[in-house]
Amino acid sequence: MSGNRPGMDMAALSALAEPNRMQIVELLREGPLTVGEIADRLGLRQPQASKHLKVLGDSGVVEAKAEANRRIYKLRPEPFQALDAWLASFRRVMEERYDNLDDYLRKLQGKDRS
Amino acid sequence: MSNNAMESSVENDRILVLERVFDAPRELVFKMFSEAEHLRHWWGPKGWEIPVCTVDFRPGGVWHYCMKCADPNQGQFYGMESWGKGIYKEIVEGEKIVYTDYFSDAEGTINESMPATEVTLAFVELDGKTRLISRSEYADAEGLKSVIDMGMLQGITETWDRLEHRLQEMK
Repeated sequence: MSGNRPGMDMAALSALAEPNRMQIVELLREGPLTVGEIADRLGLRQPQASKHLKVLGDSGVVEAKAEANRRIYKLRPEPFQALDAWLASFRRVMEERYDNLDDYLRKLQGKDRS
Repeated sequence: MSNNAMESSVENDRILVLERVFDAPRELVFKMFSEAEHLRHWWGPKGWEIPVCTVDFRPGGVWHYCMKCADPNQGQFYGMESWGKGIYKEIVEGEKIVYTDYFSDAEGTINESMPATEVTLAFVELDGKTRLISRSEYADAEGLKSVIDMGMLQGITETWDRLEHRLQEMK
């Protein structure tokens, strides 16, 4: 259903739809990392890793925290929460409709026991 | 009643499958989806009514409906109208309905910024009962499609589970 669905963040999803960026997300699931560590682990050049992190940051998937002279990147839960809620709400809405249909079919067939 | 419970699963990483058995003959269950006067009675989720519902039941035909929240307990949603539009793609009388589900407005203009879903409904006879199998495949909305195409749905859900876990630990 429409207005009842929690908003789903298309920017976050588009950001994730790139293999390197999804790998970065997978990596950050283990815990926060610096851009250097991310580049090392994924075999990327650092400017390339920075570019992907910027896209992920702009769309709200990751956030950076300054620590001494380094920037530590970590995942933000909100986009994942939104996606999860959206799927769950879709399932719930269909279940409510099917409950209604079940009752309605009983009534139509004279099987209403209440 | 365990046989009336809804079963859900994800097929090929991108199709949400919902199944449920209804205690009614196949032709009758099919009619519930193909006729506006029946849809009005049950298509609204809990607390939502269907004040408008028009059905042009043929391939290429349009199903346009309004859902309105009539339950004051739903707070911010109370009084809200939400319009949906389906375009039928394939119809096999009594057996199968395929349509694309869009978000729309009262005029039937499709909301392009929200994801469209291709829905396939299969009606399977089961000793006088009917097993309804609905498959929802997310079309359009490029980002979502690519994410689902790449089989990331599960990964994303797991990621969220872990994050939630961690947030709980941090409290």
